[in-house]
Amino acid sequence: MTVVEEVKRRHEADLLKTPGVVGVGIGRKEGRECIRIYVSKETPKILEALPRSLEDVPVEVVVSGLFKAR
Amino acid sequence: MKPLEAKQVCECLYLGVKMDGMTPSVHPNVVGVGVAHKSSRGAFADDLAIRFYVRHKLHHLLVREAERIPPEIEGVPTDVVESREFSIWRPIPPIYHRKVRPAMGGLSIGHYDITAGTLGCLVKDRRARYVLSNNHVLANENRGGEGDPILQPGRFDGGKLDRDVLGRLVTYVALDSGGLNLVDAALAEPHNPDDVTPDVLNIGRLKGTREPELEEEVRKSGRTTRLTQGVVEDASATLRVGYSRGTFVFTDQIIVGARSGAFSAGGDSGAIVVGHDGKAVGLLFGGSPFFTVANKMTHVEKTLDVTIA
Repeated sequence: MTVVEEVKRRHEADLLKTPGVVGVGIGRKEGRECIRIYVSKETPKILEALPRSLEDVPVEVVVSGLFKAR
Repeated sequence: MKPLEAKQVCECLYLGVKMDGMTPSVHPNVVGVGVAHKSSRGAFADDLAIRFYVRHKLHHLLVREAERIPPEIEGVPTDVVESREFSIWRPIPPIYHRKVRPAMGGLSIGHYDITAGTLGCLVKDRRARYVLSNNHVLANENRGGEGDPILQPGRFDGGKLDRDVLGRLVTYVALDSGGLNLVDAALAEPHNPDDVTPDVLNIGRLKGTREPELEEEVRKSGRTTRLTQGVVEDASATLRVGYSRGTFVFTDQIIVGARSGAFSAGGDSGAIVVGHDGKAVGLLFGGSPFFTVANKMTHVEKTLDVTIA
């Protein structure tokens, strides 16, 4: 498991408890792996509640809307 | 007589339209009557003629004398054109929504009690070959029972229990409301092995299974949005997904972003997400307004103990 995967695993349960957060994953931004936090809507409140980075791994907030079975 | 009046007489004599002082009758070959310039080898004459639209235009010697259309009616010349049958324009359903045998990946399928989803592909174990799709497509979100009929096309696309049953539900991975889910998957066994083929419509034969890679280009062929392209933006997502029975948490999922438009929509569930090398990387099962979510194909194979056929 990579460092980013370990960091994600340590924090995902807490992040998913934050109201408005619908998912946590790993993506790439400017060539570097980052933690992606999926939110149903972009609000100033949720942006303030979420970290900019986790254990030196950058965080990207992604507006996804709600996920549903298709 | 003027062409329009002569035409009214013809409507009565050839199409059976009622008219005072005349006995209506129907000609077996005439489907319409109109007024137009007489056409001959692509050129139109100056004089107006009564135009007869017929199912089949034959040489006049091949037409019984009683059924021949006279060259002139009430002093107005006649013209005969072949129109075949007139009908309203019904939309032709795309092949993705139709009954196809042998059935293949990409087509409409579903448990008899759901609307419709997508047939993913064929998988096999030591015993038999099966059709792979989602639990919520083939097993109605844990509600289905072993042996339940599976329709191709699905009910929403006109699939009927008396003529469109492809096979029966064999097994599914139960969706767990309390724990972490890895796959939304189920298997159906065709009643007749010749009724299915391992091809995926517009993609071809799958060349095995592998893990997805971040930022790789992928394709899928599904019932609703058909063949689309996307990019793997996340290959290890944990997320909440809404179902009719409530919300389930999935882990180690693939998130696909669209190249243009949408990568998937309702009814595409069950489609296989395929890499540039023709290998299966995911089993599509959900999405948000901006993304598509798929299970990793490696988890699907391991959980159901099958491999791609």
